[in-house]
Amino acid sequence: MNDPLVVQYGRFLGDLLLFNLGESVRTGQPVIDIIAPRFFITVELALWGMVVAVTAGLFFGILSATYRNTLRDYGTMAIAVVGLSMPNFWLGLLLIYWFSIQLGWLPTSGWGTPAQVIMPAITMGTAGAAVIARMTRSSMLEVIDQDYVRTARAKGVKENLVIYKHAFRNAMIPVVTVIGLQFGYFLSGAVLTENVFAINGLGRLVVDAIGQRDFPVVQGTVIVLAVTFVFVNFLVDIAYRILNKRIELN
Amino acid sequence: MASNEQTPVLEVEGLRTSFFTPDGEVKAVDGVDFSVSNNETLGIVGESGSGKSITSLSVMQLIQHPGKIVGGSIRLSGDDLLKKTKQQMAKYRGNRLSMIFQEPMTSLNPVFTVGHQVSEAVRIHKKLGKKAAWQEAIRMLTLVGIPAPEDRAKRYPHELSGGMRQRVMIAIALSCDPELLIADEPTTALDVTIQAQILELIKELQEKSGMAVLMITHDLGVIAETADKVVVMYAGEVVEQADVKTLFTRPLHPYTQGLMNAIPRHDIDLDELEMIPGTVPSPQNMPDGCRFAERCPYATDFCIENHPELASPSNNVEDENTSGQTRCWIYTDEWNGSNPTKGVAANQ
Repeated sequence: MNDPLVVQYGRFLGDLLLFNLGESVRTGQPVIDIIAPRFFITVELALWGMVVAVTAGLFFGILSATYRNTLRDYGTMAIAVVGLSMPNFWLGLLLIYWFSIQLGWLPTSGWGTPAQVIMPAITMGTAGAAVIARMTRSSMLEVIDQDYVRTARAKGVKENLVIYKHAFRNAMIPVVTVIGLQFGYFLSGAVLTENVFAINGLGRLVVDAIGQRDFPVVQGTVIVLAVTFVFVNFLVDIAYRILNKRIELN
Repeated sequence: MASNEQTPVLEVEGLRTSFFTPDGEVKAVDGVDFSVSNNETLGIVGESGSGKSITSLSVMQLIQHPGKIVGGSIRLSGDDLLKKTKQQMAKYRGNRLSMIFQEPMTSLNPVFTVGHQVSEAVRIHKKLGKKAAWQEAIRMLTLVGIPAPEDRAKRYPHELSGGMRQRVMIAIALSCDPELLIADEPTTALDVTIQAQILELIKELQEKSGMAVLMITHDLGVIAETADKVVVMYAGEVVEQADVKTLFTRPLHPYTQGLMNAIPRHDIDLDELEMIPGTVPSPQNMPDGCRFAERCPYATDFCIENHPELASPSNNVEDENTSGQTRCWIYTDEWNGSNPTKGVAANQ
């Protein structure tokens, strides 16, 4: 503690390489041991959220693009705006109210069983689904008027395949970027969802740690989330290369 | 030539295609007739907005919303295409009738290999397996003169030049031996040297297969080089049709004459090229009378008020035994204006 700041920082970075994030001020446990189990819960939650966001987003995006400027399109996009604008903790509370309290179908909190996954996943995924749907729609609309889509029709490809093979593969390129970014937001967005549903993930941990002024834990969580974010974006870049043949890796 | 007999492959009668915009119906193609036989190339020539591309897309039934074919008939070897369902049309497209487009740079899908895109048509229509279709694709790429076809087949479109891509488009279009090939400005986007190669290639493949070709272009040079018969379109209508020799030696319609005069000539020293003043009338606001009247040097009040029909000329022509038809009052018995043939002679 008496060393100059630079030396302390150097020591901190060295420890970081060895996955040593220090000890909790409260419990004295190594931070890495506190974070690790919760990290996987948060990643799992974010992945389920992604599943909801990607399936609903792509489905509604393609739907409104293929029925552009019809009632179906306007309806879907209106719902997307609502989904995007609604704070997710509020959506979570509404879901708990309807499905747990009124209908009694799903448990209000906890993590582990499939029934406990449904509401948090929807809560996490809705805003992402809205963003992905809007992105998919505009990207599909741009692609659908391209000459090569007309070429596909001209060679007798069935309309369904024209949309899902020729147009979609191209439209996916910008959408993948958005999906990657969404995953990053999900990791941080988990803070609210985990608190609403009392899930013992990183989000709850960091909120508790802030409340207890447990700085090593806060710091460790932030680092782990940041590294995950970077890693996910790296995966997106690889996916990008697979989708877009025009990118050369030199 | 595969066969010298000529039977009509494509017969278009009274074709009308409109776009239904918020401002009302826009008649892009307004009663077009033509036919093309096997071993024959029909050129459709006209400036931008004349409806020639919409005509070709109508034949393929690739008109997208808000466009719609509102009348007429399109027969392919006797089959009325407008009576077919969407599924039946999809089976014909790329199979019995094919199309190549103006922009080879954007007409191929950037995310699939060239070989995949050629073999796709074969797989759909000839029901070949993946491997057999790939072999067939390589055979087609060889046929259209692509060097090292095995290697090129694995490439993506962005790795090929414009001329090569247009050859690939031709390979896709011809992979199922169509009866009719529609070429919509196939050389407009290419270098002049490549243009000649592509036209030569289409001609060569036509001689081998005996298919009918519909050559859509605004370039009279391309017409002179490839077409047997020519249809001149203006503002959604056919204004003149004739065999290519007749058209070039004695253009009848003032619009055709204008187009001819606009071609640069090496044998006459001109400081400035002739041009046709004005623009095509807007389809929302089509004149009641002759659609060319506004830009026509010979137009009279009669022309402005009355719409002429496409007919064989019976007036103001020296040789009346002609197969050509034109849509102009000058060549009808109703004409009482000045004799335009003098004016034409002065221009030539």
